[in-house]
Amino acid sequence: MILQLLISGILLGGVYALVSIGLTLIFGVLDVVNFAHGEFLMIGMYAAFWLCTLLNIDPYLSILLVAPLLFFVGLFVGRTVIRQTIGAPSSVQIFATVGVSLILMNGALLLWKADFRSVPTAYGSGAISLGPIFIGYPQLMSFIGAIVSSAMLFPFLRYTYIGKAIRATAQDRRAAMLMGIDIQKIYTFTFGIGIALVGIASSLLAPIYSIYPGVGAQFVLVAYVAVVLGGLGNIPGAILGSIIIGITETFSGFFISPGWRQGIYYAVFILVLIFRPQGLFGQKQ
Amino acid sequence: MEGSGRSPLAKLILKDPELSFSLLGLVFSALVIGFVRNPFYLDVLIMIFLWAMLASSWNIAGGYAGMFSLGHGAFIGIGAYMSSMLFIHFKLSPWIGMLIGAIAAGIIASFLGTICGRLKGHYFALATIAFVELINIAGVQLKELTRGSEGLSIPFHAGLANFMFESKVTYAYIGLIFVALFYFLSLALERSKLGYYLVAMREDEDAAKSLSINTPRIKMISIGISGFLAAIGGTFYAQYILFIEPDTVLSFNFSVQVALVTIVGGMGTALGPVIGSFLLTPLSMLLRAYLGGGLAGLHIVIYGFLLIIVVFFIPAGIVNAIRTPLKKYLKGEEIG
Repeated sequence: MILQLLISGILLGGVYALVSIGLTLIFGVLDVVNFAHGEFLMIGMYAAFWLCTLLNIDPYLSILLVAPLLFFVGLFVGRTVIRQTIGAPSSVQIFATVGVSLILMNGALLLWKADFRSVPTAYGSGAISLGPIFIGYPQLMSFIGAIVSSAMLFPFLRYTYIGKAIRATAQDRRAAMLMGIDIQKIYTFTFGIGIALVGIASSLLAPIYSIYPGVGAQFVLVAYVAVVLGGLGNIPGAILGSIIIGITETFSGFFISPGWRQGIYYAVFILVLIFRPQGLFGQKQ
Repeated sequence: MEGSGRSPLAKLILKDPELSFSLLGLVFSALVIGFVRNPFYLDVLIMIFLWAMLASSWNIAGGYAGMFSLGHGAFIGIGAYMSSMLFIHFKLSPWIGMLIGAIAAGIIASFLGTICGRLKGHYFALATIAFVELINIAGVQLKELTRGSEGLSIPFHAGLANFMFESKVTYAYIGLIFVALFYFLSLALERSKLGYYLVAMREDEDAAKSLSINTPRIKMISIGISGFLAAIGGTFYAQYILFIEPDTVLSFNFSVQVALVTIVGGMGTALGPVIGSFLLTPLSMLLRAYLGGGLAGLHIVIYGFLLIIVVFFIPAGIVNAIRTPLKKYLKGEEIG
């Protein structure tokens, strides 16, 4: 039983990691906490839903369309809103992204109503059994997706020119600018990448979760918790943080009560913010 | 009186234009309530007062002290639930329940302010979001007390002691009195030593510390007052709507809207939350009434655009955008 809980927790952590990676990337480079992150996930899930119902495209295949779509959505929002908030007082940052979140969430409510929708797939409830342990097929896919997308992100950030420019900007804006990097472009581009990662996440999550205008909130709060646990801006930290949250959730759901399981990680979150704001693995500044 | 710049009224107007403007607004609102008979417009007025109260309470922490809470729903909800539960289970008058709820919320807020006080900007905001979600889960899970997500209906027995009235006019007057109290309290705070300390801390915390301002202490006090007032607003909400559920009063969305009204009106000004509510509440209610359920959410989409526009173009809010040039003009008049 313990092993089953542990594995379910790790897989659930993979789901959360998908959302956290983009969030932590945006935070690390732009130094902006994106309060609209969950709403981009919601838009991506609706895109996967419509591609599946109207064009009969499998959600996993729709990654190829949803990720680029969200990349462009990210570029647009990054250019029009996010870029103006960089270096601004935190009230401006918070409320500009909260504004984006309100527009997206209620825009979706206007267009698609509050109905819960789900993507019908043959494998949606499929599971693989390894002896006494059951592993949900879509959960496994999203976990693999999280690993693959972060594995792709690393060489991109390490070896490509633009990846190096992104890291340089994250380390020292002024120095990057002096080296001839157009940091404004880097900001917009990074935001686009972060949102494209959310696009990958949304296609992978569409077969598992119901889709409704408020669906983003349920993931994004967890993603914040994971990102803060791992240290803001730290991508491997975000993945590890997500897995810790996933395990905490399955264990507290089983041993305490399913209704309280989210309450537990919010409490953990507040405690971590207070005692280790640099994250569990971060260095003290 | 006419033409003489020395009459006490004229003196007050010149010396304290804001206070005189507000007193005028207060008298005007009191008169308007007396004449309005249409229940929908009365409802709009009451909701304006309610949101002005909630926004004023947020303003004490978010506006003056710069502690951007996105979790004020927690304090509002504590107030609403406390007075309602005490009334339902123990038949305690909601007026007393209101005070108990406000004290509880004030203590909890001070505690939160103490432990999260050193978090800056968005970290503080994130902590308050987690806090309101935590309280929300408690509200859903403690079914014996709160009836969970079904919500709590407050049985209607009209009477002053029960804080329930047949006529909306009474609610409107009580709301107006509360708004006036909250407003004068904010104004008194703004002009007190504590108010100056808070603004100094908001602008530059290190500088404030070096001037030997005890910043953790004033943070604790300001968010405590803020939570206390928010809970009073919560009780007023519960007594008027007579139905509360975790997804409204204890939600993140509710918390955001409270902040939004203040930001549009003007953070860190006593008048800002009131003006913000006078602008936004009728807007949202009229949109909801005329567009109907078919376009649910449209008013919040408009809120979202407004929020972004205000934050980028008039970050100090509408009151400051009008007041600063007006002050210059009035001062010029006085000297000339």
